Amino acid sequence: MEDRIKEALKEIVGADNYTEQLIDMVSYSYDASEHHHRPTCGVWATTVEQISRILEMANRERIPVIPRGAGTGLSGMAVPARGGIVLDLNHMNRILQISIEDRLAIVQPGVVYADLERALAQHGFFFPPDPASGKVATLGGNVATNAGGVKGAKYGTTRDYVLGLQVVLPDGRVMRTGSHAMKSVSGYDLTRLFVGSEGTLGVVTEIILKINPKPTATSTSMATFDNLEDAGRAVSQIMHSGIIPSVLEILGRDTIRAINQNTDLNLPEVDAMLLAETDGYTQAETEYQMSKIMDIFRDNHPQQVQQAQSEAEAASLWKARKSAYAVLARIKTHFVLEDVTVPIGNVAALLKGVEEIAARHEIQIATFGHAGDGNLHPQILYDGYDPAEVKKMEAATADLFRLAIDLKGTLTGEHGIGLAKAPYMTLEHDAAAMEAMRNIKKLFDPNNILNPGKMALEG
Amino acid sequence: MRDKYDFEIKYRDQILKCSRCGFCQAVCPVYGSTLRPACNARGKMLILKEVMDGHIDLNDELIDTLFQCTTCANCYQNCPSGVNVPEIIKQVRKDMVHIGSCHPAFTGMNEVLQAHDNIYAEDEPEDFERERNKQARYVYFIGCVGGYREDESTLATLDLLDRLSVDYTLIDEVCCSGVLEDVGFQINPRLVQLNIERILTTGAEAVITGCPYCFRTFNNKEQYAPLKEKGVSIIHISQFLKNVAMDVTTDLRVTYHDPCDLGRHCGIYEEPRGTIRKIAPNFVEMRHHHADALCCGAGGGVRGAFAKNSIAMARRRLEEAEEIEADVVLTECNSCVHNLSNAKLRKQKFKVCTTTAFINELMDER
Ligand SMILES: Cc1cc2nc3c(=O)[nH]c(=O)nc-3n(C[C@H](O)[C@H](O)[C@H](O)COP(=O)(O)OP(=O)(O)OC[C@H]3O[C@@H](n4cnc5c(N)ncnc54)[C@H](O)[C@@H]3O)c2cc1C
Ligand code: SF4
Ligand code: SF4
Repeated sequence: MEDRIKEALKEIVGADNYTEQLIDMVSYSYDASEHHHRPTCGVWATTVEQISRILEMANRERIPVIPRGAGTGLSGMAVPARGGIVLDLNHMNRILQISIEDRLAIVQPGVVYADLERALAQHGFFFPPDPASGKVATLGGNVATNAGGVKGAKYGTTRDYVLGLQVVLPDGRVMRTGSHAMKSVSGYDLTRLFVGSEGTLGVVTEIILKINPKPTATSTSMATFDNLEDAGRAVSQIMHSGIIPSVLEILGRDTIRAINQNTDLNLPEVDAMLLAETDGYTQAETEYQMSKIMDIFRDNHPQQVQQAQSEAEAASLWKARKSAYAVLARIKTHFVLEDVTVPIGNVAALLKGVEEIAARHEIQIATFGHAGDGNLHPQILYDGYDPAEVKKMEAATADLFRLAIDLKGTLTGEHGIGLAKAPYMTLEHDAAAMEAMRNIKKLFDPNNILNPGKMALEG
Repeated sequence: MRDKYDFEIKYRDQILKCSRCGFCQAVCPVYGSTLRPACNARGKMLILKEVMDGHIDLNDELIDTLFQCTTCANCYQNCPSGVNVPEIIKQVRKDMVHIGSCHPAFTGMNEVLQAHDNIYAEDEPEDFERERNKQARYVYFIGCVGGYREDESTLATLDLLDRLSVDYTLIDEVCCSGVLEDVGFQINPRLVQLNIERILTTGAEAVITGCPYCFRTFNNKEQYAPLKEKGVSIIHISQFLKNVAMDVTTDLRVTYHDPCDLGRHCGIYEEPRGTIRKIAPNFVEMRHHHADALCCGAGGGVRGAFAKNSIAMARRRLEEAEEIEADVVLTECNSCVHNLSNAKLRKQKFKVCTTTAFINELMDER
């Protein structure tokens, strides 16, 4: 990058907010995936005007710009695949407004999910998507990846809560989408186009979020099944019952085994464990919903069904699910955490298929995830320094994606395409859909400067 | 091929187990005050991974992150992969010093302790108006910060011990020198020897430390093992006070800041709270407490080497005290008191002091 460009960047953000120091360049090369590539420099922007000027110049000079939140993405979305300028948005971290009567919050993109959660809790409200990375991930990142979480079954994902955005387009123009109103059918839904666009269309600089009152009561239960099909049938029957659990999670056999080998939780080594939570505003209401769910558990040959009688008991039931990621993360030096998603009725088939893939490629895959919305997390464990294991991991991944598509599902329910799943885009999307996406990219970013190399948009 | 660094030999597997989840970013005080991800635990582990992969080498360019760590262990506490970052950082600093890359403040600290007996190079120790090196049941070991920077706090603690008729003595103490291990050097055998001799000479059955860091050093460093071998136990003042009846109380709104060295590093959370609850029924926790407590920003050599950021970390901690409208912030570490007091803004009307100093003050007022 030419010195005059570096000087211009320093002039825009201030010398203290510009870096090309080695430690920053290494840190900005990575996200939470296995992908990495060095950027040329980084800037800590603080205003929309600065971002507009940076993009305007980068567009003129054809330099890649990579918007970055907390870098917790799991598919290389924030990795500067073509070098360029990392635009770190964490300094824009103010909650601008919370309006309870309008049921909305307006935030800057660098606000951490948990900080908004805390601010809303004071009013008895919440922003439901609740990604597991919420303590650290930014709302800008959540919007750009359409983040979801354990409550997806009942509350949907980030997309369902974004009312409007302020976005800086690659040529530096500032655009507003949506409105402050609860509903709007005014023109094309540009807001939704930007939600989940992985920083490839524009930089989100302000977010208007719909917020919900926070339910004050919950009930929790757990059931184990010797037979995967029984667990799958229980999930389907819950969907038929008319009850929508606030959480419905599943742990597969390999995950349970790994937890047992690495903790003293002593779980029964069964094919599947289901955890359910119902929520509402009175205990009677949540208990009623839970009793229906437990009836269904009992109808499907469970090995054990247990309901938490106190908050402490609920916490202990959740322990297995909550420890899954940490336990699996410690087993091998490397892992990929996938997030294939299938229609809810196919969850058991997906679990079975994953076990077959693991056996076929002789690789450890442990699965857990959100049975309530069909989103599973097969975590493939391998040694990244062993070329043979890397090959197995890659082959298993490819099979996994094919399986998800065969089961009428999708490559990714939460974590996005980024670099990791770009080669598989055409598996899911037909030629016309790919062309439409590429044309949208060209419309907003004709010079391909915003987060280039992602989502197979260049094909 | 270069020779392997000691940090690789000892910690390669752990460093590779960092899954880059970034969870440490939420709790790292250095990140919290700089918003610079290169400085959080993930940033540090990535640097070391690239060194191991041969992409970069250890050098001065890495000092800003590898030496900017308070060793508070909040990352380790929250790390899903169990990466013990502070231990890894301490080892890397030794490797860095070995190849001649070190923050000047850290080199300075080592040089001072070669030539002097305390980290402030002060040659005139405060005598606290008390006889030293007596025969007594306990040795009260003050620590450098309590001895040379927070002497009023120490004086109050000693007054309290007198009021409680504790049979103790001070000694001609020298720096425990444990901190050298954290900043890239080795514990100083000369100083260790002096402390051990002077403690044993008193015939004491236990050393009561005012400083959680000295407490850790005496308890955990093998160089100090002779103390335990001679039957001398090491207790922190907060443990000592646990069972002592205090007939004073206050209506003030009191909170407690867990020093990293006492809390996360030693698991001592309840003894201080037990004592405080006895004297202050109006006790409230800050937003982050116990194992989640925020670091005051002073540890790991950061106060000396990165003073501005160290104060910024302390400010973040004090904001939490302000948030709960505390009148008094108590803690069990003079180093925390020192940094928090230096960071306190004029508008922040609460007081910051050690529990012992506060109790003594209540007794004075009675
Ligand atoms: C342990 C763990 C658990 C996780 N659990 C979940 C989960 O439950 N649900 C889930 O959905 N995800 C989960 N994730 C993935 C990740 O946390 C989410 O994708 C999150 O939304 C990313 O936010 P971030 O701030 O880290 O964004 P980054 O990783 O920094 O960026 C992600 C993408 O967003 C773009 N971007 C960031 N900010 C902006 C902006 N202001 N404007 C435009 N583009 C922007 C980046 O360019 C990049 O393409 C998990 C990750 C980890 C490591
Ligand atoms: S929390 Fe642990 S695993 Fe996650 S990035 Fe930090 S050091 Fe690495
Ligand atoms: S020990 Fe504390 S200061 Fe050091 S990296 Fe971990 S959280 Fe940050």
